[in-house]
Amino acid sequence: MSRKQTPLRPYFEKMPEIGEELREGVVRRSRANVDLVKEQEELIIQEVERVKKAGIPAEKIHQRGGMTIYDRLDYLVDEGSWNPLHTLYNPTDNEEGCTGVVDGLGKIDGKWAVIIGFDNKVMAGAWIAGQSENILMVTDLAKRLNIPLVWLTNCSGVKLMEQETVYAGRRSSGAPFYRHADLNHLGIPILNGIYGTNPAGGGYQGISPTILLAHDGANIAVGGAGIVGGMNPKGYIDEEAAQALIEGTKNFKGKAPGRVETHFDQTAYFREAHDTEQGVLDGIKDYMRMMPAYDPTMFRVAEPAEPRLKVEDLNLILPANQKRPYDAMQILARLTDNSEFMEYRPDYGREVFTGIGKVDGFPVAFVGNQQGVFPGYPEYAKGEYPGVGGKHYREGLIKQAEFVTLCGRDNLPIIWLQDTTGIDVGDLAEEAELLALGQSLVYSIEQTELSMMCVVLRKGTAAAHYIMCGPQANNNNAFTLGTPLTEIYVMHGETAAAASYARRLVKEDDAGNDLAPVLEKMNQMIQDYQDKSRPVYSAEKGFVDEIVSLTDLRKYIQAFTGANYQNPRSITPVHQLLLPRIIKG
Amino acid sequence: MAELTAPIAGNVWKVLVAVGDKVEMDDEVVILEALKMETPIYCDESGTVTAISVKEGDAVNEGDVLVVFG
Repeated sequence: MSRKQTPLRPYFEKMPEIGEELREGVVRRSRANVDLVKEQEELIIQEVERVKKAGIPAEKIHQRGGMTIYDRLDYLVDEGSWNPLHTLYNPTDNEEGCTGVVDGLGKIDGKWAVIIGFDNKVMAGAWIAGQSENILMVTDLAKRLNIPLVWLTNCSGVKLMEQETVYAGRRSSGAPFYRHADLNHLGIPILNGIYGTNPAGGGYQGISPTILLAHDGANIAVGGAGIVGGMNPKGYIDEEAAQALIEGTKNFKGKAPGRVETHFDQTAYFREAHDTEQGVLDGIKDYMRMMPAYDPTMFRVAEPAEPRLKVEDLNLILPANQKRPYDAMQILARLTDNSEFMEYRPDYGREVFTGIGKVDGFPVAFVGNQQGVFPGYPEYAKGEYPGVGGKHYREGLIKQAEFVTLCGRDNLPIIWLQDTTGIDVGDLAEEAELLALGQSLVYSIEQTELSMMCVVLRKGTAAAHYIMCGPQANNNNAFTLGTPLTEIYVMHGETAAAASYARRLVKEDDAGNDLAPVLEKMNQMIQDYQDKSRPVYSAEKGFVDEIVSLTDLRKYIQAFTGANYQNPRSITPVHQLLLPRIIKG
Repeated sequence: MAELTAPIAGNVWKVLVAVGDKVEMDDEVVILEALKMETPIYCDESGTVTAISVKEGDAVNEGDVLVVFG
């Protein structure tokens, strides 16, 4: 008789249950909170719709018999597996209202891939401001997760009227070609479905991936056929030159170079050419079947399971009022399989929780801020002030750095649930070495080879936003999510206004002057902090990679986890894990 | 007779009930303010408010009685 089981069954099959059902009274008094969350969600939905409508109407593309990028993604990606990223990203606030690329994590034929395509409604997929940063984040993501990058190329090249915003510079639109080379060098394949006319930048976008599949109407080339004039010795355009241009353009009969008859029939750069747009996508699906991916059984420690407690409760639990505390375990209980969690050192460093949960049966580490007040803690401030949730103190910082180090050894991906107001400050905090311990946590993260995902549940503030694997952890942070309740700023607006204007207030007060003008400036500053820290702003500027409803968080966590375990570069045999043994004692 | 006490030291920011009010378990009755945070105080059983021992703006210590229920 054959017998099979998951590894370390006594540790993982049944882990400690966390969280509890919400009582009727809690639900009753929290209903208004749901409305506040939904209100924010509505603002985000409106912005997402705006971005989806960028450029020419989808109907125009459809009338030409074509597909938009959204149609292509719908066809390509396995149903229900799409997790969009960077939807609202538009760091330079360009007139297109987006970066002209659409990307995210999704499954194709059952395997995770980072997927990105040019929005062919927006200037036929031109290079526009902010786009290269978007692409670099995406290539970084594929590198971090070691999964294929899938491109849907449809790129008309530089938006010539604004070439200075895209062409030159270290992180400009040419940098992705080097990133593609880097991914290839690392053994991370890039599949490229090519549509439309792709001259110059579009041509290198076309040629730089690993596998090229073309639509019959597509072309890729060093340059386009549309440049009919070239250099003019006069250095300006006069009537005569304009007439010459008009004639040249009218008489131009050439086709765009680099067509399928060249790059399929002659050079054979294209592996496949398809007479339908869907055919190209089917070709990508075929190639995805060839991509390296372990069966999940390799790394699962238990059968996948949904959380025991309802994910929808999150809108009741996480207070929209940023000054209100909550039970962080009640949040975590809606994210992990069976609402189970094996906590590491719960009695030490109470302001943060660290431990292992399961996501779709895979072991995953979680770190997050606890909320509330901790009388008698931290030890170094006893009798002076109590600890408050969201802040970091000596023990919590030591615990996190220690935990991260052990996760590195055990190859456990980490999900950070940030809701932090900062690291404790003052003489006592300095004597307690918090400055160095914060950086020690940064060091611990950096010295691992782990993929990490960060969720800014509510506040991401001060250096604490950095040290809890915020997006600044370039080598480890795969992506960062915000929620409808996210606020990201160096400090609260009121604190910033006080820090900036307190002395001025004293001066004006001593002089017997009217304080109103200073107060107006302070309140303006508070409002400014509010406006420039909200979810939509955070997404536009790239403070986060996407704003996600609370009820969708688990879906992204599942995508991150599944992608992380698809083809890991390093493996710790489950039966050799140390952390579960340390936790058990 | 049940008493709701302050879990931490702070100031009484809001009193949300009056003597004679009927309250249910998990209703919010008082909000304390301390350390830039609101700490809501909830009923841990149903009943009628028989006494309110604090008023808005009062400073309270940990363990001080806030509201009494009958």
